[in-house]
Amino acid sequence: MKIPFKKKNTEKEALVKVLSKSNDYRHLHFTNEKTKVEFYLTFIASLTDEKIIHKEALPYLLHGELYHLDDVPELIPIAETEISTNAKDIENKLFNGNVLVQVVGNEEQLCFFSAQREVGRNIGIPEVEFSVIGPKEAFVESMKQNLNLVRKKIPVKELIIEELTIGKVSKTKVAIIYLEEITNQENVNTVRQRLQDIDIDGITDSSFIVQIISDNQNSPFPQILDTERPDRVTAGIIEGKVAIIVDGSPHALIGPTTLVELFSSFEDYFLNWIVSSFFRLIRLFAVTFSILVTPIYVATLSYHYELIPRDLLSALVASRRAIPFPPILEALFLELTIELLREAGARLPTKVGQTIGIVGGIVIGTASVEAGLTSNVLLIIIALAALASFTTPVYRMGNTIRLLRFPFLLFAELWGLVGIVLSFCIMLTHLIRLTSLGRPYLEPLYPPRGQDMKDALVRLSFKNQAKRPVFLRSKQPARLNERDAKQKQDIDE
Amino acid sequence: MSISIPENKKISPFLVFFVVQKMQFGIGILGFQRIIAKNAGHDAWISIILVGIGVHIVLWALFKMLETVNGDMISIHTFVFGKIVSKIFGIFFILYYLLLTVTVIRTYVEIIQVWMFTDLATFWFSLVLLSVVVYIIFGGFRTVTGMAFFGIVLPFYVFALFLFTLPYAEFNNLLPILDHSISDILLGSKNMSLTVLGFESLLIFYPFIKDPKKSKKWAHLAVFSTTMICLYLAILTFAYFPENQLQKNIWPTLTMWKIIMMPFVERFEYIGIANWCLIILPNASIALWCSSRIVKRLFSIKQRTTVPILAIICLIATSFLFTRKQVNLLSDMVGQVGFYLNFIYFPLLLVATLIAKKVKKNEVGS
Amino acid sequence: MKLVHKIIILTSIAFLLNGCVKKEILDDINLIEAIGFDYAGEGMTSGTILYPIYQPDQPPENKTLTAKALIKKSILQDIQLQSANPIVTGSMEAVLFAKELASKDGVLELIDAFQRDPGVGSGLYLAVVDGEARELMEGNYGVRGNATFISNLLENNIDNEDLPKTNLQKFLFSYYQEGQTPFMPQLKKISDEKIELNGICFFKHGKVVETINPDQMFFFRLLVDKYSNGLHRVQTKDGEAAIRSIRSTHNFDLSQHSPLEITVKIKVQGIVNEYTGNEVRPDQIKLLEKAFTEEIKEQSTKLVEIFKEKQIDPVGFGHFVKTRTRNYDLSKWLESDLQNLTVKVVPHVMITEAGVIE
Repeated sequence: MKIPFKKKNTEKEALVKVLSKSNDYRHLHFTNEKTKVEFYLTFIASLTDEKIIHKEALPYLLHGELYHLDDVPELIPIAETEISTNAKDIENKLFNGNVLVQVVGNEEQLCFFSAQREVGRNIGIPEVEFSVIGPKEAFVESMKQNLNLVRKKIPVKELIIEELTIGKVSKTKVAIIYLEEITNQENVNTVRQRLQDIDIDGITDSSFIVQIISDNQNSPFPQILDTERPDRVTAGIIEGKVAIIVDGSPHALIGPTTLVELFSSFEDYFLNWIVSSFFRLIRLFAVTFSILVTPIYVATLSYHYELIPRDLLSALVASRRAIPFPPILEALFLELTIELLREAGARLPTKVGQTIGIVGGIVIGTASVEAGLTSNVLLIIIALAALASFTTPVYRMGNTIRLLRFPFLLFAELWGLVGIVLSFCIMLTHLIRLTSLGRPYLEPLYPPRGQDMKDALVRLSFKNQAKRPVFLRSKQPARLNERDAKQKQDIDE
Repeated sequence: MSISIPENKKISPFLVFFVVQKMQFGIGILGFQRIIAKNAGHDAWISIILVGIGVHIVLWALFKMLETVNGDMISIHTFVFGKIVSKIFGIFFILYYLLLTVTVIRTYVEIIQVWMFTDLATFWFSLVLLSVVVYIIFGGFRTVTGMAFFGIVLPFYVFALFLFTLPYAEFNNLLPILDHSISDILLGSKNMSLTVLGFESLLIFYPFIKDPKKSKKWAHLAVFSTTMICLYLAILTFAYFPENQLQKNIWPTLTMWKIIMMPFVERFEYIGIANWCLIILPNASIALWCSSRIVKRLFSIKQRTTVPILAIICLIATSFLFTRKQVNLLSDMVGQVGFYLNFIYFPLLLVATLIAKKVKKNEVGS
Repeated sequence: MKLVHKIIILTSIAFLLNGCVKKEILDDINLIEAIGFDYAGEGMTSGTILYPIYQPDQPPENKTLTAKALIKKSILQDIQLQSANPIVTGSMEAVLFAKELASKDGVLELIDAFQRDPGVGSGLYLAVVDGEARELMEGNYGVRGNATFISNLLENNIDNEDLPKTNLQKFLFSYYQEGQTPFMPQLKKISDEKIELNGICFFKHGKVVETINPDQMFFFRLLVDKYSNGLHRVQTKDGEAAIRSIRSTHNFDLSQHSPLEITVKIKVQGIVNEYTGNEVRPDQIKLLEKAFTEEIKEQSTKLVEIFKEKQIDPVGFGHFVKTRTRNYDLSKWLESDLQNLTVKVVPHVMITEAGVIE
């Protein structure tokens, strides 16, 4: 037993040597006034709250009856204390904002108490997934607060929060959250396994994790839902999904997810089911429109003039008469302009961004039509398509849709409508092959599950949502007492 | 003798509906009306019903055989004839499915060349089609089934569009019923075979069905629905075209689309032909999948290697068919082979299987 | 780089170079909207195409190009020699045949080309021109171009007036149907800005053999269309009434086999649009109904007599007989069997209302 101890000591010395290079490393010597016991406090000043040390710890340690290290937890009024003999903990604990107490003469025994400094912004309102109705909280960067937000909403013992540390350098804390009696253990295991397998130096945001643990990393489609809304996360957990919260990231992850979920806004659940179903269908139409309309324009104008209704023909030909480019160049020119505007708008502060949008939209649009570079019909089409692509409630999906248009355009230019259908087939195959944490991505469309259609293209009423989605393979499928939904009264009773 | 397939690679029984129906419903549907009317005239709809009944019987026979040996086609052949003979039959089936793939793709290319792009390069277009097919097959049988599913569900609206022909339909054309002799009608049935062909792929993908017993009703339903669709189309076609005009149109279904006019689309056939891509892709993938699957069963070569090789063979074959005549010859040949295979060979094989079973039982018994 | 990647890249480049197909960009082609054929003597045919030049905020300008040819199918190629852009047929709306050409050379060879061309829709209107097709196409009608004017004129008359349903498919249908002969509407140019629908031409073996006037069109439509509408003036002793038939149906019945007799039951449901007499009383309506019934019977029978005389069958009596008789031989229909056919017309007129004035 002695040899490892010795080794530990050398390890400790090496640690101290490295640490003392940093300016914010503190190693202070104190003596208890009553018992004259000498002790050291070791901590990293930038991570700890000195107020806690001065007010909650030091007075007790200096004036209390401290004979032994074991007395420390009893003396100081701080809940998070720990006594350990493992020198390996030192680095870990210090960098989590703990203070190390060592009594002179018994340096092998270590006592830690937490004096973490809470720096971070307050809980704000959701910005990416804003909703008019419903809760207005959004996650922040601090994991503690985020976990608090979730825990408050699910105050049961079955809610399990598992913590992992990922990143050799960043030591990011990652929490896996699920409901024990409901979530399929296989999903939890998959998530845990994939998180444990991550071998990376640093992680700064949950989007790193999304990309690393996705089933197919070469797919433009997001395979794990990320959200800044605690209500969406809790709803997902209750439904039987697994949530991941990453320290330092205001976006939580939910998986497994499906394509249709990425097109549903959480606001859908706040509205009446008829209204929200209508909105979902509108969104579906908008997305299809946004992807297909420019390719169809290019295909029809380049190859299939027969399709154009004769009343539209004169408007189209007249607007294109002066334009020197073939439809594909015209379309690419405008599409790229719109993409430029979006990128410029996104990189600039909000107010300037708006100006850019207006300047770009109106001035460039009008000018290019007047200069005879594009036709006004196409300008309308592209503007509408851009507008439609903003209706996707999940930001990541919106980006995917922006990108998808281009392969479609290329194939439309090659083979007209046949090309569009071909590229659609390729996309469809890709989607069928895609999985999210091992569950089919296109569910409930394929594999077709009639039961899950209740919350897919349309959202039916809560009465019809009595079962958890099949694809989650939950341990408890039922979620609503179906009996009280059944009884119906006669008229005038 | 049973082959073990991992549970998560299998498909639900009701998806069998889509695979079987998809295999039957493909390129043939665009032009079968003319071929069956060649002999049976406007009475050819009776031929369709006869073929439908025949297919149900053959399907029953297939299920009977598969249940007896609890495996696939190779197991049946091994069971009845022994290993070596089953290999020879297997090779024949590989060729058959390859030919089916080639027919489907080449006919589609032909249609595009006639109706849309006269100068479409067969080689390049088939290359892209076959690449997509390979991509689909690489996703496994579940992906193939998925494409089959979407290949039926998404283009289904087309059938409603045929109702646009109603104002021009003269249902009197179908009268008098049974104006042709029975032998003419039977000939019509024989000509119908290329259209309904393909359900025998059940023999290959049977081990991939989760609960094969339950899938029976879905397979029969699939065959029934194909018959109904063909019947629906045939009746509308016979009402739309007088017999002489029908014989002049190679793809009556496409010609019928020419009358469809909607406020936002002046002509529908171009959309329809483009849409057909979604219908023939799963078709070709099932056929090529079957082919590569047999190779795997016979020679234990990985499908990952065989599929691209088989696709390249198909590509070469497709590019060497230049004229309409050659394409027709090929599809006629496949139709003939399919007819004898389905309606003559498989019933005989069933009898052989049952005898073999009895003999083996007796051997065990004694 | 792996060999596979090299192959993929090379194939993609080759693909982009060779995989393309010929484009027909909308503003770089001449869209034929209508085509007209004239008789040019001695087997020659002259063809005129009409294509619009679209301008922003203005009605399209009508342009025509004409060429003569011996082989009818080569006319388009000959016209191509005069055109700066490729000529395409995909959005054609009407084909016109000069009556002289249609009666002397026939139209079959020309129509066959349209039937064969996958770009030509089945909803194409065919019409005979009383006069010269080229002259008619060189006018200036309406604000949406000549071809649209012609097709709208025909469409309107089919939807609301007396013209029986007609287009390329209908023509081909009755041409290929055994025991039926086709017909086409006839147009006439009145002035540089006016066209008139002035009758229906009947074809036999692709040649015009008979023309009826617009007054008879109403009765012809009753016979040939399952559902029809239209307007007809009826004379009684008290005055003249314009009766609009809202929904008329006909029903054929093979009432006797030898000799053949077909009973045509015609039901007309109509309203009185205008009346020159004093007021419309119930007994007057009775009178009108009776007069109308008589007229339908008389006119229809007259039409059937014309058909018999010219040995044509645009209504399709022959086809009807065949559908009701097993193994009926239609090869001698026009020459002998049609002549012995008796057609009994039994009209039934019902006038349901007389406008908002009591």
